[in-house]
Amino acid sequence: MDKDGVARIAAKQIYILPTRIGMLYGTTVIVMLLGSLNYQNNIGLLFAFFMASVGLVAMHHCWYNLLGLAISMRSGPAVFDGDAALFEVTLSNERAGSRYDLRLSGGLDASTPVYLDAHDQRGISFAQPTSRRGLLWLKDIEIETRHPMHLFRAWCYARGQASVLVYPRPAVAAPPPVTNSGDTHRPAARTGDGADDYIGNREYRRGDSTRHLDWKAFARERGLVVKQFGGDDGVEVWIDWTALRTPDPEERIRLLTRQVLDADAANLRFGMRLPGIEIGLAGGPDQMQRCLRELALFNDGQTEPAPH
Amino acid sequence: MAKQNLLPIDEQPERYQTLALVMTVCAAYLPLARYLNWRVSAFVALMLMLRFAAVRWPAAAPGRWLLLGLTLVGVANCLLANHTLIGKLGGTSLLATMLALKLLELRARRDHRISAIALCFVVVVQFLFDQGIGLTLYFGGIAFMIVALLVDLNGGLGSTPIRRAVPVVLRISLQALPLTIVLFALFPRLTSPLWSLGVDQDRGTMGMSESMEPGSISELVINGDLAFRARFDQHPPGSDRLYWRGLVLWEVDNRKWSPGRVGQYQTVNPELTQATERIDYEIVLEPSQQRWMFSLDLPIEHPPNTVLSSDFQLLSDRPITTAKRYRLSSALEFRTAMPAEAEQRYALRLPANTSARMITLVKQWQLETDSDWALVQQGLDFFNREEFHYTLLPPKLGANPWDEFLFETRSGFCEHYAGSFAVLMRIAGLPSRVVLGYLGGEPNRIGGYHLIWQSDAHAWVEVMIAERGWVRVDPTSAVAPFRVDNRGASRLLGAYAPARFHIDSTGVLSMAIRQLRLLADSIDAVWQRSVLDYSAAEQTRLLYRLGLADYGEFALAGIMVAAVTIVMGLILFGLIRQPDAIDPASRCFSLLCRRLAAVGLERNAHEGPLDFAARVAVARPEFSLRVNAIVALYIRGRYMPNPTAADIQSLSRLVKAFVPTRQRRSFSDTKRRKYLT
Repeated sequence: MDKDGVARIAAKQIYILPTRIGMLYGTTVIVMLLGSLNYQNNIGLLFAFFMASVGLVAMHHCWYNLLGLAISMRSGPAVFDGDAALFEVTLSNERAGSRYDLRLSGGLDASTPVYLDAHDQRGISFAQPTSRRGLLWLKDIEIETRHPMHLFRAWCYARGQASVLVYPRPAVAAPPPVTNSGDTHRPAARTGDGADDYIGNREYRRGDSTRHLDWKAFARERGLVVKQFGGDDGVEVWIDWTALRTPDPEERIRLLTRQVLDADAANLRFGMRLPGIEIGLAGGPDQMQRCLRELALFNDGQTEPAPH
Repeated sequence: MAKQNLLPIDEQPERYQTLALVMTVCAAYLPLARYLNWRVSAFVALMLMLRFAAVRWPAAAPGRWLLLGLTLVGVANCLLANHTLIGKLGGTSLLATMLALKLLELRARRDHRISAIALCFVVVVQFLFDQGIGLTLYFGGIAFMIVALLVDLNGGLGSTPIRRAVPVVLRISLQALPLTIVLFALFPRLTSPLWSLGVDQDRGTMGMSESMEPGSISELVINGDLAFRARFDQHPPGSDRLYWRGLVLWEVDNRKWSPGRVGQYQTVNPELTQATERIDYEIVLEPSQQRWMFSLDLPIEHPPNTVLSSDFQLLSDRPITTAKRYRLSSALEFRTAMPAEAEQRYALRLPANTSARMITLVKQWQLETDSDWALVQQGLDFFNREEFHYTLLPPKLGANPWDEFLFETRSGFCEHYAGSFAVLMRIAGLPSRVVLGYLGGEPNRIGGYHLIWQSDAHAWVEVMIAERGWVRVDPTSAVAPFRVDNRGASRLLGAYAPARFHIDSTGVLSMAIRQLRLLADSIDAVWQRSVLDYSAAEQTRLLYRLGLADYGEFALAGIMVAAVTIVMGLILFGLIRQPDAIDPASRCFSLLCRRLAAVGLERNAHEGPLDFAARVAVARPEFSLRVNAIVALYIRGRYMPNPTAADIQSLSRLVKAFVPTRQRRSFSDTKRRKYLT
C-alpha cells in the first residue's frame, strides 16, 4: 500500500504457474524436441526451440502484465444483511504500455477481462455476499491474468482497504413502536376509506381487508403482511429496545430495524433507544440512516446476548 | 448448439477465430499433400470441407456418435493407404487425420487452443520430408499464426482485439528469435539416435549407381538433381580439368562394367610417385544412401572416417544419409606407382562377347604404332576420325553393345565411349579400367563455389602405361565438336545442360534466369552449411575454440543456460526500462516538490497538494502566490475530466520558472522546525 492509498503490485507479490493449456504446450515442445534430436532434424529443432522461446517469453510477459499495476478500492453504499455488498475496485495502468486480460477473481459474478490503455484506469464493481450486520471489510482481492497466450496464469493479492456498512436484515413485520405518550398505541383498524398515512405493517390476520395486503412484501416472500394506516402527521414514536420481549438480541435488532423502516416509510418523527444509546426524535432519511447505522454497529455487530 | 450456450462467455469462441484456425490448419496441410497417399489427403480434405460447412451452418457439425464413426473410418483409411500407423508416412497420415477430426469438435476456446498446439506436430513432422529454406520460411509463417491464434484466443484485448493482438504477437515473436538462435546453437546434440522407428529406411538410393552399362549415365544426366557443391581454397582450375573421381570399375561382362574385387574397399593408402599442383577444397555431398564420395582426380589426403582405396576411390564408413561436408586435397598433376602383377592381369580380362571385328581393329592399330601411348592416341583418333556422334539420345543396343556401338550405331554418350574404349585397350594388352564420376561443374560466382549436377556425370578410362602408371584417357573428348548433338541435350535438360554441350545461352532472359538460379542456390548453400549441417561436431569445435572441450556437453549446457539467462535478462530489462511516463501534470508537481524539498520544505507522505501549499504559505509567505497558482493548475490538470493543453503548458512554464531559494541563516533552525511540523 503506497502513501496515496493505492496498492501497487511489486515483483515479489506476483505468483505464476502454467495453466493446463500451458502444460500441454510444454509437453508438445518437449516431444518435438526429443523427436527432432533423435532424428537429427535441425529444422524440427529450430521450430521446437522457437516454440519453447515463445513460451518462455510469454511467461515473462504474463508476469510483467501485472507488475506495477495500481489498485485502489472504494466502498459502495450501505446494504441490508443478505444483499450483496458492492465495492468498486479501480485498476490503473500507470505506464506507457497497455495491460491486457486483467480479471478479478473471487467476486460474486465472473468478471469480464479488463484491457487498460496507457495511463488508463477502469473501475470494476465487485460484489461480496453479506451474512451479518456490522462493517463488512472487503476481503483480499485476487487479480489474475493469462495474457498473452493462456499458457501461464499470474496472480497477486491486494489487501482489502474498503468496508461497507451492513444494516441488520429487517424482520418481516414488527409490532408497532411505542407512541410518544408512553402508551402502547395500537392504531384501530379502520375500515373506512381513510386515506390516512401508512404507519406500519403487521402480520395478516383473518378478516383483514385484502385491499391492505402488502403484495410487494408477499412477492419478496416475506409472507402475508397487512399495511396499517391511520397515523396522524404529528405522531411521534419511540423505537425502544426494552419495549420488545423477544429473547434473541439479533432477532430484536431485526425487529427494531423493521420498526425504523416502517416509521420512516410512514413519515413519522421517531427516536430510538438502545442499551446505552439514545437517538432523539427526528424524521427524514438522515434520521433513518442514523438509526440503522446504530443498529448495524450495535455491540460492534456482535451477537452476544445483550443485557436487559 | 445447446452445449455451446452453457459455456462461460469468455470461453465462447468468435466465429473469425474458428475460421482463422481452420485456415491455418489448411495452410499447414498444403505442403503435406505432396507426400501423403491420395486416400489420406482426400479424407482430410473432406473433413476440412465439413468443418468449413459447420462454420457457416453450425447444424452441420457432426454429433458425438457420428464423430466416433468418422474417427474409425479415418484410421481404417490410414491403414488402407499405408498398411501401418507408424513410421514416417504412417505416423504423419494418422496425425493429419486426427487433427482434421479434432477440428470437427471445436466448441470452447479450449478446443481451439488444443488444436493450435497440436498443429505444431503437423508442422514438425513435415521437416522429416523436406528441410528446404522455402518450406522453413513457410512454416515460420505458420508458427507465427499459431502464436497469433493463441494470443487472440486468450482475449482481454479490449474492443479492437485483432488490432491490439498484432503488436503483442510481433513483440513475442521478435523477442523469441534471439532465444531460438541461442538454443539452436548451444543445445547439446545427440551423436547417435536414441531410438529408431524406421523413419529413414524408406529412401531409395540416389545418384550414381554402382555399375555402368550403356544408357545408365544418360538416365542420370536427365535427372536435374544436385550431386554436390565444391568450394576451392585457391583459384579454381579450369572446368576441363575438373574430373571428379567416384567409382573405379574393373570388371566387364557382355553388357556392363562393374567394380571388381581388386582394390575395392582396400584400406591401404595408394602410392604416388609424383603429385604436384596441389589443390585444397571442400565438398558438401548431397545424400545418396551410398558409401562412395567424390574427389578431384587425384586425391592425396582424405578426410577422417573415410577410406582411400588403392585405386583412389574415396569411401565413407557409413552410407551417406544426410548431406556430408568434407575437406580434402588433390594433386592435379600426378603419376601413380606401377600396379602389382595381379592387378595388371585383372585389368586385362575381356568380356566373352569380344568380337572378331574389335580384335582386327586393334591388331591394325598395333601394326601402325610402336608404343603403348601411341596406340592410345590411335584409338582416340579413331573416335575423332570416324563418324562418331555424341548424343544423349543414342539408339538402342542389342546383345553385344560394345561391338554394335563401335561399328554400327556409332552414336552414344560417355559410357558408350569409355566402356568400349577400355575394352579395346584391354584387347591391345594395355591394362585399363573405367572411372565413374563427374566432369566440370557450374561455377557460382555469387556463392564462390562450384555446383556439380547429376547432369555432369561422366565416365572415362584409365590406361596403364609403363613408367607412367595409370593415365587418364577421356575418349569422349576425342569426338569431333561438330558431331556433338546439342538438340537432344537442350530438349532434355534445358537450362541445366552441362557446359560441354555448348548450348547457347547468351539471351538476356536465359542469362537472368541463370543468375537467379545461382543466387537461389547460394542462399541454399548457406542454409545447408550453417543450419542443416550444424551438428555435434560444430559444437565441439566451438568448445575447442573456447578452451572448454574437456567438459563436453556439460560446458555446452552451462553456456546455454548462461546465454539464455542473459538474453532473457535483456528482454526483461527492455520491458522494465520502458519509462513509467506519469502524466505531465504529475511530473510538474513532483518537480515543484523536489525544488521545495531542496530548500527544506518536504512534502509529507499523507499530505495532499492543497495542505502542502497551505503549509508552504505559512513557512514562506513570499512563495504562496506562485505555489498556490501552481497547485491550482495541477489539480485542474490532474483531476479534472478534460485538462486542456494550455493549462498543462502554463503549469509547466510556472513550475520551471519557480526556483525557490533557501532562507537566510538569520531564520533560526529551531524556529523553522516549529513552523514546519
